[in-house]
Amino acid sequence: MLSDLEPLTVLIAEDSAADRLLLSTIVRRQGHHVLTAADGAEAVDIYIQQRPHLVLMDAMMPVMDGFEAAQKIKQLAGEQLVPIIFLTSLTESEALARCLEAGGDDFLAKPYNQVILAAKIKAMDRLRRLQATVVEQRDQISRHHDYLLNEQRVAKAVFDKIAHSGCLSAPNIRYLQSPYALFNGDLLLAAFNPAGDMHILLGDFTGHGLPAAVGAMPLAEVFYGMTAKGYGLAQILREMNAKLKRILPVDMFCCATLLCLSFQRCTVEVWNGGMPDGYLHDSLSGVRTPLPARHLPLGVLTPQLFDDRTEVHPMSLGDRVFLLSDGVIDTADDNEQLFGVERLQQVFSANREPDCLFEDIQQALRDFRGEPRDDFSMVEVRLVAPTQLNPPPPVYSDSGQSSPLDWSMSFEFRAQTLRRFNPMPYLLQLLLEVHGLRAQSGALYSVLSELYSNALEHGVLGLDSSIKRDASGFARYYSERNQRLDELNSGHVRVHVHVTPHGDGGRLVIEVEDSGKGFDVARVLARPADSNRLSGRGVSLVRQLSHQACWSDDGRSARVEFFWEALA
Amino acid sequence: MSVVTEVSPDGQKLTISIKGRFDFGRHQEFRESYERLNQKPESIVVDLKEATYLDSSALGMLLLLRDHAGGEDSDIRIVNSNSDVKKILAISNFDKLFDIYPKEDAGKDSAGEKDKPQAGHLQDKLHPGKA
Amino acid sequence: MSEIHLDRDVLSTLKEVMEDGYLELLDTFLNDSEARLRVLHEARDAEKLSATAHSFKGSSSNMGAIRLAELCGELEQRAKQPSLGGIEKLVSEIDSEFAHVRKLCREEREGFHC
Repeated sequence: MLSDLEPLTVLIAEDSAADRLLLSTIVRRQGHHVLTAADGAEAVDIYIQQRPHLVLMDAMMPVMDGFEAAQKIKQLAGEQLVPIIFLTSLTESEALARCLEAGGDDFLAKPYNQVILAAKIKAMDRLRRLQATVVEQRDQISRHHDYLLNEQRVAKAVFDKIAHSGCLSAPNIRYLQSPYALFNGDLLLAAFNPAGDMHILLGDFTGHGLPAAVGAMPLAEVFYGMTAKGYGLAQILREMNAKLKRILPVDMFCCATLLCLSFQRCTVEVWNGGMPDGYLHDSLSGVRTPLPARHLPLGVLTPQLFDDRTEVHPMSLGDRVFLLSDGVIDTADDNEQLFGVERLQQVFSANREPDCLFEDIQQALRDFRGEPRDDFSMVEVRLVAPTQLNPPPPVYSDSGQSSPLDWSMSFEFRAQTLRRFNPMPYLLQLLLEVHGLRAQSGALYSVLSELYSNALEHGVLGLDSSIKRDASGFARYYSERNQRLDELNSGHVRVHVHVTPHGDGGRLVIEVEDSGKGFDVARVLARPADSNRLSGRGVSLVRQLSHQACWSDDGRSARVEFFWEALA
Repeated sequence: MSVVTEVSPDGQKLTISIKGRFDFGRHQEFRESYERLNQKPESIVVDLKEATYLDSSALGMLLLLRDHAGGEDSDIRIVNSNSDVKKILAISNFDKLFDIYPKEDAGKDSAGEKDKPQAGHLQDKLHPGKA
Repeated sequence: MSEIHLDRDVLSTLKEVMEDGYLELLDTFLNDSEARLRVLHEARDAEKLSATAHSFKGSSSNMGAIRLAELCGELEQRAKQPSLGGIEKLVSEIDSEFAHVRKLCREEREGFHC
């Protein structure tokens, strides 16, 4: 009666020779390979040497009884299931319980019944195989898990580097990211542009884990690359959106808030696509102005439909911008109630010490839920005097042997171009080919940007800078700027660049002309430079940062000079 | 079933109703609800009356649905969202992609209650359903 | 108590199972049992007595020696009692029952030969 199951190796431990002979014959006739032992010690030895699949064990045996032998075999088998069937004429429940305690899986009573024995061996074999499968699958899962953890660790190390190659350690930034926030798709980037303005991005990819973090790589690349070259938020946003739209699957996108903090102009420019409200905190009045999401997240719209319009707010020294991820307000309590914006605002109003805002929020989250989610990000940036910051000097990779020293160039940018294109990064890149100018790249970029935006906004667009007298006028000014720019169909800005040798070094002259109505140069220059005034800051900034700043043609043409000494 | 699908008798209008949490756990069911149809419906209504919560992967699923239904040319209405869900849709600015109504029937007689007026193409879309 | 010394049904099943090994089984059982009887006679402690009776009971039951198994069971229980009275009487009953069984087994052996 060979059964359908594969032959097993069965160890029979039985001190009675007749019973042993009988049982071996029965088991062998059922198609299995049989090993025999006359006592417990022998059974353990044979188990060690031959690793049988199953053991039939008499309880009462000399030298070592079946209980002890069963315990030893179970111990040796470890995670493997070696079923032990006790052979017994024991009837007392206490003795049967001892068999189970010793690791017995079943009993077989004397006198033996072949049919029952075959059924029990079959059942035990099923159990044994099940256990083997479970152990194998568990090991497999555990291997996969280890593999996954390792991948995550490697990926996290890479992303941490990306996230920390910027200026998150600047003294005016404070941030808090739970350890796994990144792996839940949160991304926090910060970098200085050539003028010393700070760009900050807090992003939140859809979904979780690796797929979410994968999108972080190209986003960070665009952010750092374009910020370092002096691109404005609008261009950076357009590029990030186009890139994500191109590479991400349809159901993935990135909610993001992008900031540009200008420490010289004392402004913050904001674009929020799909993130919770950020807040601009006025340190004097204590008022918190929300910075709500006005746009779809990055990676949703085609480049044609993408909206890159930003908002600009004035700031004073000590004012702060606070951004957070939805992990904070979507923290749920046991009843699936969300923490929500109202509770966050209660924390704001209860907050007495601005430097402890993060701690207050965390405490509120703990009070609300017991423990905060492990995927939240918060960042706070303070407006400080430019001197308090130390933007790292840009790194140049060329050898420095081919610096162009005697040349001129003129550009004319007309309405179509002015509407969408910012030529400043290109001009700056060009000028930084002149190695002597590299040491003053920040001042150069600031002056160039200032002259260009004056020419565009006050000249071509005819905007009156005195509108920017107060905060509400400030907002009006920028919305007016956007509207006029959208409708622009005539006018131009010309930029002339002259580089000539001068002594051992050289001289750069920049002239910027516009097609506007000009302004009363004498009156503007006569005004004292007042750093607290929101309007007219540009002119004094230009005069501070460059030599020989002068205006001609009724203010329609500005001219500045930069000098440099021989390079060491 | 936490995703219930209903197709109008003429096959022109598909209504997908979500019950409970609308999150990644509904991914499979939600996709099947529109992918298994033989006939592509003219209009789709996503009814969130019984949806308690919606996360960013649900927003992703809505984008997939929109893509499936023809992207820019799709006609998808999201109706009956509760206040929590409405907040999430507002933050993400999804009203720029979808027609979001407070009530399912609001679009039929009162364009005023609609979050984004777009009455013209709506009237067209409603006709086949009445035929 | 059963009057069956050796159950014929059990024997025929064993014959079927053991085939050529049947005689060896009978011999093994008899040798085993004689060794056990010696232990029963010599045993001085109750535990040894009880354990041997237990094993003897098991192998007897396998061979269909029903009355012998019952007597061994009785001895096993009696050996666990505080007073050891009646033990000797039981052992001698087992002696004579085994003599019966041995005789029957030998006949069985002869019969199998024919």
